[in-house]
Amino acid sequence: MIFFDDVWFEYEPNQPVLRNLSLQIQPGETVALMGENGAGKTTLAKHINGLLKPTRGTVYLEGVDTRKTSTAQLARKVGFVFQNADHQLFADTLQAEIGFGLRNLNFSKEEIDERVNRFLTLFELTKYQDQSPFLLSGGERKRLALASVLCVEPQVLILDEPTQAQDALQKQKLLDFIASFRKSNHILLLVTHDVEFAVKAVDRIVVLSQGELIADGTPRQILSNLSILERARLLPPQLTQFAHQLAEHEPRFPTDLLTLTEAVKAVNQILRRSR
Amino acid sequence: MAAIFEAFRFKQKHTFMHGLDPRTTFFMAVCFSVLAMLFLELLPLLIIILSMLPFVLLAKSIGQWSRSLKGLAFLAGFILIINSYFISFSFAVSTVLRLTALMTAFSIFFLTVHPDDFAQALIEMHIPYEFAFAFSMAVRYVPTIATETETIRDAQMSRGLELESGNILQRVRNYIPILIPVIVSSIRRALQVAESLESRAFGSTASRTSLYGLKLRKRDFALMIYSLLLLLLGLYVTFILRTMLPSPLPDWFFWTFPF
Repeated sequence: MIFFDDVWFEYEPNQPVLRNLSLQIQPGETVALMGENGAGKTTLAKHINGLLKPTRGTVYLEGVDTRKTSTAQLARKVGFVFQNADHQLFADTLQAEIGFGLRNLNFSKEEIDERVNRFLTLFELTKYQDQSPFLLSGGERKRLALASVLCVEPQVLILDEPTQAQDALQKQKLLDFIASFRKSNHILLLVTHDVEFAVKAVDRIVVLSQGELIADGTPRQILSNLSILERARLLPPQLTQFAHQLAEHEPRFPTDLLTLTEAVKAVNQILRRSR
Repeated sequence: MAAIFEAFRFKQKHTFMHGLDPRTTFFMAVCFSVLAMLFLELLPLLIIILSMLPFVLLAKSIGQWSRSLKGLAFLAGFILIINSYFISFSFAVSTVLRLTALMTAFSIFFLTVHPDDFAQALIEMHIPYEFAFAFSMAVRYVPTIATETETIRDAQMSRGLELESGNILQRVRNYIPILIPVIVSSIRRALQVAESLESRAFGSTASRTSLYGLKLRKRDFALMIYSLLLLLLGLYVTFILRTMLPSPLPDWFFWTFPF
């Protein structure tokens, strides 16, 4: 469990980036952290694995105060994939890159080999295993960064803007992966601006604005609440926009639509009624 | 580690030092650096550092300067240990003092001179515009790279990298997973910047004119003369007084730790 107890954080004195923030995330939850640029999303995420320690208040990971432990120790429990894959790739080969975290955490030689091979296969990177990570394409580097964090099999996985610069196919693959992750008892935290992706990926959205938590609920509650979206400078998903515009002409049309299936059903009902 | 960069991050302030011509501050930095390279005795180096401190004070930048000294601590510790082991403790301390003097000299320069002003100074010294521009770009990107270095350190620590573990050699090796991404992404960015410059017609006109010129004032000449005199004194001590036998220099000049 992740527990933020009245957390305040400032980089510069008297300029709080997080204010009065309390939040609980239970095992098995998938959460999207959303908000405008500079709202404090990444800052919040960095508190979970102790990269940042709160100026006031306390962050607990499975009951342990992050102030009393180190990021390296938390690395076994929390995996953090940064926005830019180029910020973490450095090894001579893909195998070494994936093995880096495992070696840091003192896994046995056999365990490392087994996991490296398993994750190379899972992310379709086996054919490049002896190549340099720098020869991969942008999308492949992103996958490698993901593989090199996931191979530790952390209980908490944080993905910072995972859909940035990814094509539709890669996004779909990421969704498939998240779906398989959701079945386990792990925590997934997505930091993202991509509402369309969040709708499909998570079952809870936490919205930050200027360092404060302004909303916390299901994607349906959050993404159909236009005033919250406006405060966090988020555009509702296209389907929700479509529903709102249609409702102006047809008041009975539901405005809390999220998926294509729901929209088709609602439109069908209206059509049938008008016949 | 990234705190070292603090000493080289320009901050706009209205002080005596910020009002100087960039050529003056550069000349001072060069004079004091040469001075620091002339001596390896403890006390002369201390005197050189002390003679620079008033300028740090005048620039109202003691805070930034001392923060970067803390950033230097890791490197200084490394130098101390290696040199004490292979040569002597005294030599190690002198080396650290020399490093501090060099850093102070250039930190005064970088803290008080806007990169664009320095580029302008280079142009007025008849250095080709491309070189002057490359210099100001390099300075411009120091803070960007510093921030990026911090992000990269965070990313690798999240993968279980421990910087403070192992013996000295291991500790240096711990930095490889940080250094390689820093270098690689800097090169990637340099290529991108070059492309975007070219696409904005960089270098399309042969001769450029400047909106603002630079002018040396009385205080500039005064400080240049002051630095030059100190440098000449240093050269006189090193190449004349120190070679004479018996030495006319006082005993304290050669004072060292006895180990």
